[in-house]
Amino acid sequence: MSYGWCNMIGVSDEAVEASEPVGRVLGTADATPLQFWTAVTPGSYLQLDDVVVTRRELPGREPVTIAGVVTQVRARHEGAQFDSDVFAIAEGTLPALVQEAAEITTTRVDPEFYVPPAPGAVVHRASGDARDAALHFDRMERRVPMGTGRDGVPVFLNADFLDGTRGAHVSISGISGVATKTSFATFLLYSVFRSGQLGGDAVNARALIFNVKGEDLLFLDHPNTKLDEATEAAYARLGLPATPFPDVRVYAPPRAGDSSGAPDVQSRLTGVDSFYWTLEEFCSKRLLPYVFADADDERQQYTMVVHSVTAHLARHAVPAEGGISIDGRRLSSYGDLVDHVVDQLTDDETRSTWAGSAVNMGTVNAFARRLIGSKRDLARLIRGDLAARRPHQIKTAESAQVTVVDLHNLPDRAQRFVVGVTLKTEFDDKEKSGTGRPLLFVVLDELNKYAPREGSSPIKEVLLDIAERGRSLGVILIGAQQTASEVERRIVTNSAIRVVGRLDPAEASRPEYGFLPPAMRQRALLARPGTMFVNQPDIPVPLCVEFPFPAWATRKSESGPPPAATMRSIVQGVDPFAVVGGRGGSFDDDIPF
Amino acid sequence: MTRMFVDSWDPSYGASFEGDGSDGPASPSSAQVDTDVEVPADQWAPIDVSSRVRCPDVVFLVDGVRRNDAGLWTAEEDGMSYAGLAASYAAGVVRCDLRNGVAELAGARVARGLFTASPSAEDLQAGSVRYEVHRVSGTGEASKLPAAVQAPLTALEIDISGAARDGGSDGADLLVVDGPLRNRRQLPRTIGYVKTQQKQYLSAALTTVVTSLRPTQRTPVFALGTVWGGWSWYLRLPGASGAPWSGIVRIECSPDLTPAEAIELADLSSATLPRFASSSYKDPRAPQNLVPIAGLERRLRGMLGDARVLHRALTLATAKTR
Repeated sequence: MSYGWCNMIGVSDEAVEASEPVGRVLGTADATPLQFWTAVTPGSYLQLDDVVVTRRELPGREPVTIAGVVTQVRARHEGAQFDSDVFAIAEGTLPALVQEAAEITTTRVDPEFYVPPAPGAVVHRASGDARDAALHFDRMERRVPMGTGRDGVPVFLNADFLDGTRGAHVSISGISGVATKTSFATFLLYSVFRSGQLGGDAVNARALIFNVKGEDLLFLDHPNTKLDEATEAAYARLGLPATPFPDVRVYAPPRAGDSSGAPDVQSRLTGVDSFYWTLEEFCSKRLLPYVFADADDERQQYTMVVHSVTAHLARHAVPAEGGISIDGRRLSSYGDLVDHVVDQLTDDETRSTWAGSAVNMGTVNAFARRLIGSKRDLARLIRGDLAARRPHQIKTAESAQVTVVDLHNLPDRAQRFVVGVTLKTEFDDKEKSGTGRPLLFVVLDELNKYAPREGSSPIKEVLLDIAERGRSLGVILIGAQQTASEVERRIVTNSAIRVVGRLDPAEASRPEYGFLPPAMRQRALLARPGTMFVNQPDIPVPLCVEFPFPAWATRKSESGPPPAATMRSIVQGVDPFAVVGGRGGSFDDDIPF
Repeated sequence: MTRMFVDSWDPSYGASFEGDGSDGPASPSSAQVDTDVEVPADQWAPIDVSSRVRCPDVVFLVDGVRRNDAGLWTAEEDGMSYAGLAASYAAGVVRCDLRNGVAELAGARVARGLFTASPSAEDLQAGSVRYEVHRVSGTGEASKLPAAVQAPLTALEIDISGAARDGGSDGADLLVVDGPLRNRRQLPRTIGYVKTQQKQYLSAALTTVVTSLRPTQRTPVFALGTVWGGWSWYLRLPGASGAPWSGIVRIECSPDLTPAEAIELADLSSATLPRFASSSYKDPRAPQNLVPIAGLERRLRGMLGDARVLHRALTLATAKTR
């Protein structure tokens, strides 16, 4: 038997000899260039996601190699006419054959000459280089491992579609709890940083992760004590070390009602910094619109008021010892600021200078009501009582490689505020620098909350900006959501890489998941945690990926000793009064400067 | 090379080989019958399944199928013309392992032949298949040709049933041959299974014993004095419609056996065969057409190939000879 044809796809003879014939192309079902059925040889098997390859001879041309992925397998009794014949067959009275057949969806035709495979042609299981070729891995210059296929062999992501070279952004969908969306997102980040495929870009790249649920992501830099040898072997197969993230900084909001500004976290005690905005920053950076970041807010009439008040604050607020001074009044907390603004707006004399003249009282009242409502949510984040020189801002460029922003303790309005302001600041910084490097990966769960399909809000604008222009500016959005159908369409369509975990049955039938073949759509309903279907532009069929258990802790109970770096967190050197005894002495006393 | 022409008529419009389909023997037989073998004729009564008999674990069932692919006419040098018949036939064996619940095709062979009296006819290559010439003696008119297929088919069946047993026989198995035993009688532990009753071998008094059989009951063994005679008995299969002759099959075994051996086989058959009986909504020839046989025939028919393809190949092949 000649294997010469395999050379076309860069397959050495050894690789092909290792690949066994598993069946022949069926002639009783139509074989097409893009899809065909294979009868499985008795004694062999094909499972979903197996990679196979066959060849078609052409007169006067080089033969065509057709490679594909198994997208459906069926077995039936041949020789049985009636359903009840199965009993006669099982009893041993009716002779019948069990025949399995597999549906192959073509992934690669080489050379590109779209002819159907000939019925009867031998189909081989592809392994080694032939498998890489079938899945286009050989054409990927930089390939990021993202897990193993069903066959236990690594599956890769084309880095060109991740870092903005040819595409960017990742959209991950799946039911919460079982779909392991954030786990996959963090694993993907880990792979990007540690696989070395992105070269220098990976070293300089930054990641900004918003932690929305529990304290799962606060232990990225802690080793996982439950890590076993099998998982380490899985990492080794992917060419990755099984270690926690080496360089992580965790930010948490200040504890509510705590004047020292200590971070509000329960389980992680060391290496957490608090973040907040000073009143001065709130005014000068025009952050007020992000207080009204609900899509619901945008529909209201008071948007106009929001903008004129924002402008007024930016123009007239003067910094004064951490707080601000406006109209000669010193304001030292968000509550003071709100009260002052409301006072000024309800006062007939000053209203027009704050809100403009064409505003009626009802609108002003609506604005005032909501502004007062925001006091409780935002008072701990917008401060006038803490030192302005203490680092408190989330700035990935000056932070560690991975920046985790903990939002899980915050109420909804505050979450929106933090996400909106942080993303806006980061994106503006990127825009100013004007280069696509270093890369910034933004991991944001519950995208449907921040960028819903209907309505508009300041955050949605920022996210849309990132989705549409982030590719050239090096801002990569890794968005996760339960239902892609509820996320702004332009964000989903701009994602080059789409990932699906376990889906809700009603959700799976929506057109947003049209990239999944019907069989895969069904499988997505029963995908186990740790199994994802990844669609990338290079490969016409989504790949089923199993990614290893995290090598970093995902909760307090499984976290190993914290890395030494967290002992010397930045906080202690900053607020001279907060240091001594401020953290229960859990770390070394440092010189308070 | 002899010129040949394929008859444009569909070959299945020829003679019918199946029985006439009526439930019961059409004409009385003149064969000598000895009905005193197992019990005296005046004590004949239905016999129930003996409780001593254990059904064999392995049962082999042999059957053959045939199909006329095309009728042909030759044009001889001297202006004569002979009829020809291109036929495909296949024989196969099902090995029913009742203990393990596995029925598998233990062997099957397909052959194709060109049956003609033409002295000059040669093997006919039609596409990828070859029709081997079988010279028929005599004038070889078209109506006689189909019967000529039976001999090579029987030979094929004998061949294959011997081969199947070589592959795995535990010495206690039973071989069921579809149709009369005829020249297959030398096979050990073999019974012939006759589905349709054309001849009435028994006297009117004894025939009432046959018609009064209840399902799984059999008549006593009797000896048939015909050319291909031997020991024989009737058995009623379950699932019959209730008509006097429905579900009745005649079974025969080799006359070389002793009466005791024949009676043992008869007991074995009534213990074994009823479970193979087919049900009427699945098989128009139920219950006589046994389930494994029906499955085997389907498989064999599939192996014969598509009739239209072969007919076309024959047409093309003979067109080339002209």
